[in-house]
Amino acid sequence: MHRRTFLRELVTAAALLALPTPSAAVRSQQRYLRPPGAAAEEDFAALCIRCGQCGQVCPNRCIEFFGAGNGAANIDTPYIVPREQACILCMKCGDACPTDALTAIPREAEAIIAGVRMGTARVDESLCLSYQGKTCGVCYRACPLQDVAIRAGRLEQPIVIAENCVGCGLCERSCIQMPQAIRIIPDHRRARRASAIEAST
Amino acid sequence: MNATQRPFRLRRHLNKLRWVSLSLVFAMLVLLPMIAVYQNYVAAHAYDLLSADEQRFYDLMERLTSPFAADPAEDLDAIKGTTWAGRFFGFKIGDPLSALGQVAASGTLYWPLLLSVLIPAVASLFLGRFFCGWICPASFLYELNTGLGVLLDRIGLRPGRRHLDRRLKYLVLAVGLGLSAATGTVLFAAIYPPAVVGRELYYAIALNGFGTGAVFFVATLLFDLLVARRGFCRYLCAGGALYSLLGRYRLLRIQRIPPACNDCTKCNVACEFGLDPMRDGFGQECNNCTACIAACPTDALEFKVAWRDQDYQGPGHLGRRYRHEHGVAEGEPTNDRENA
Repeated sequence: MHRRTFLRELVTAAALLALPTPSAAVRSQQRYLRPPGAAAEEDFAALCIRCGQCGQVCPNRCIEFFGAGNGAANIDTPYIVPREQACILCMKCGDACPTDALTAIPREAEAIIAGVRMGTARVDESLCLSYQGKTCGVCYRACPLQDVAIRAGRLEQPIVIAENCVGCGLCERSCIQMPQAIRIIPDHRRARRASAIEAST
Repeated sequence: MNATQRPFRLRRHLNKLRWVSLSLVFAMLVLLPMIAVYQNYVAAHAYDLLSADEQRFYDLMERLTSPFAADPAEDLDAIKGTTWAGRFFGFKIGDPLSALGQVAASGTLYWPLLLSVLIPAVASLFLGRFFCGWICPASFLYELNTGLGVLLDRIGLRPGRRHLDRRLKYLVLAVGLGLSAATGTVLFAAIYPPAVVGRELYYAIALNGFGTGAVFFVATLLFDLLVARRGFCRYLCAGGALYSLLGRYRLLRIQRIPPACNDCTKCNVACEFGLDPMRDGFGQECNNCTACIAACPTDALEFKVAWRDQDYQGPGHLGRRYRHEHGVAEGEPTNDRENA
């Protein structure tokens, strides 16, 4: 192959890789969480060096890695699907991360509530057993921030306290309904919240 | 045998030591994901729920690690990661290319990451591309791949021996940095073989099997077999380019001792990077792998402390005698590096 041909093909391949549109289209359709302490979604791909250490230290094996299915920009970046395996907030991944893609956050309730914002739990009352008159309360018991991020009402009806919910997904993982009556809505702008906290303190 | 009468020289055995180093690194990259799986099992407190195979695996890992770790869930976190970025007893260490790629992609400087690549970067200033020859887990597989090429050659399938331009990899480095900045992703993580190998081993052992990087890596193996021996390292590796640049004025380098050299060309054949040790042609590409030293039958190659290569020092002693006996003048280009 001539060098010129090779270079031309190299540039073409590079240009194809650089096209941002397909990844953006796919991204909006998928529901996934980033590990706790993650930077905002728009910065994540630029900060993560795809070393996989967050997954290696995760004792719960809830952190998985994207293949080609979520856009070229997200290949090999970590994600969590809580209904498969939820985060237990051990905070080891932020410790292991060599970059600022995941911030190290101490394993204390206040620090976690202030710094972690994977998403927010939302209850679908038409699916939730307790709201249908059959006392359940499983999600309330699964929550690591009981009475801080979730309250139990009459018949153990879950009431999410959105500003304290960190989105770990243990409630969604534990829900005995199928489809789940409580789910995490990902917060992909999360770092803005963290920086807002930094600015206010 | 002649070989038994030669005095023992340590430098002739450095190549074996290098293989030990490469094998150890690769073995660690296999062992660490296994440890991660074992830690998951420990954390789950569910030994009884494991399958018979998983229980055997658990028992094996317990036997292997119990001398080093009283509490597997915590103590075994001491060593994690890959050569791309890892943790060694609380000390983070990473590949300089990872930091460079992240700076280009994010446009920010994150000091803990830059500090973690400082030691490898400074070591490369003194030792050159030593990472490529002594540590890189992809080199380990590429060198085995070269061996496969030799076997294929023996049964009549000739591997590719094309020559491309060595400077191509600097272009890959530059274009990669530019594209990282343009797309906002750390592109090198996907096209840098040691990062890919470490990650794919982890995926295959601890997660759900090989990812997209495995396809890329197999393609590089085929490139080496079909196009050029060690072609990816020589022509396309962005990390190799970075280490070559860092090691341009390295202090430890291999040099030839002309009085001992007999111009037998064994060093040039041994050099997988296609360099020209016999005519003092090492350059910034040399990864100090010592294969040429091991191949030299007259111990005419050795490590020296110098910040640049010797210019061509002329033919070895047998070459001089040949010239003298056949009346060839000293300056005639019978042995010219440029014509090689």
